[in-house]
Amino acid sequence: MIYDKSSGKIVDIIKNYARKHSLWIVAYGTGCGAIELPPTMTSRYDAERFGIRGSATPRQADVLLITGYLAVKTLKRVIRTYEQMQDPKYVIGFGSCTINGGMYWDSYNTVKALDRYLPVDVYINGCMPRPEAVISGFIELQKLIEAGKANGAKKYKENLDWYRENQRKVIKNWKMPDYNW
Amino acid sequence: MKTQNINIEKEIATEIQNTFHTAEVNIKRNKRIEVKLRNDLIPPFLSYAKNYLTFNHLAHFSCVDWIEQNEFELVYIIYSYEKGVIVLAKTRIDREKAEFVTTRHLWYQAETYERELHEMFGINFKGNDRLNEFILEDWEGIPPYRRDFDTVKYATDNFYTRPGREDAKDVRENVTKINKEEIPEFAKEYSVRSLK
Ligand code: SF4
Repeated sequence: MIYDKSSGKIVDIIKNYARKHSLWIVAYGTGCGAIELPPTMTSRYDAERFGIRGSATPRQADVLLITGYLAVKTLKRVIRTYEQMQDPKYVIGFGSCTINGGMYWDSYNTVKALDRYLPVDVYINGCMPRPEAVISGFIELQKLIEAGKANGAKKYKENLDWYRENQRKVIKNWKMPDYNW
Repeated sequence: MKTQNINIEKEIATEIQNTFHTAEVNIKRNKRIEVKLRNDLIPPFLSYAKNYLTFNHLAHFSCVDWIEQNEFELVYIIYSYEKGVIVLAKTRIDREKAEFVTTRHLWYQAETYERELHEMFGINFKGNDRLNEFILEDWEGIPPYRRDFDTVKYATDNFYTRPGREDAKDVRENVTKINKEEIPEFAKEYSVRSLK
C-alpha cells in the first residue's frame, strides 16, 4: 500500500468530517451560562441534529464549554477537567465574562481572559448568549474542525510552559497532578 | 386583616421594650420591626425571641461594615410563622477585634452564615468550631468584603486585563439625570476611583 501525502490528507478529511458531526460536551457548567444549555439541547432548538450532545465524563467528551465567569477555585477544576480530556478536544468560551471579564471585570476572585489559561478555539459573545448564538458558535467550531484549524490542544501542548506560568500566577496553592502527555 | 396586623407589631414591640429596657425598638413598616441592642444582649434576646415570642426561623444573618465608626453591624433577621412578622435584630461590634459569640445552639443554619462572615469579613465567632475555609480557596490578605479592601486594585494587580475596555464610561450621571435622581456624595468618590 502506498502511503503518500495525498492519501494522508484524505484520511484527515474523513477524520475531520467524522469529528465535526459528533461533538460531545462535558456536562460541567460554570457561571450563569449553563442555564442556556437545556433549551439548546431540548426540542425547541434541538442541538442534536448537529451532532452536539452532552456526555457524562471528561474522558468521553470532545468539547469543554466554559459557560461564564471563572472563579479561581473553578479554574482549578476546569484545568484538571481539560487535562483529563482526550484528543481531539476543543474549548468554547461562552459569554463576555470569558472574553474580557464582562460585568465581573473588577471582581476579587474571577479571571478575566480565558485564553491565558486554556486554549480557546471559539468564543461566543453575549451576556448571556442565547441558544441561537450557541449553535452558531458550534457551527463555527465545526467549520474550523473541517478545515483542520481547531488545534487548541496542540497549542496547549506546545506552549504548556506559558499556560502553566499564567495558571500558577492565579492559583496560589498549586496541588495539581502533572499529566505526562 | 390589615388593622389586626398593625396591632400585632405594636404588641410585639411593647413586649420587647418591656423586657429589654435598653433596646431601641422601631416599627419600620407593616410586618417589620427593627430592634437595636447592645451586643451583650443579643444572645438573650434571640433566645427570648425564639422560645417565647415564637420567632423560630432565622431567615438571614449578615454584616455591615461601618468603617467610619470603626464598627461592624451584625443583623439577624428572624421570622415568626405564627405572627407573620419579621424582626431585624441589630448590634454593633468592634471592628478591630471583630469577635462575637455563636448562635449555633439556637439555629443550626447560623453556623453556615458565621462561616461566611468569618471568611468575608474576618469576624471570629466564639463557640463555632467550623470556621475553616469555606467558599474562597487559598485566600491570603484582608477579607474581601471589608471596605478597606480595594477590589479594583486587587483585580487589576492579580488578573490579566484584556485591553479594549479603557473607554468604558461612567454612565451613572446620565442614568441619574434620566431618572431625576442624584448620586449620593459618598458614591461619587467610588465611581471616579473605579474608572482609573
Ligand atoms: S457573560 Fe453574563 S451571563 Fe455569562 S457568566 Fe458573565 S455575567 Fe453571567
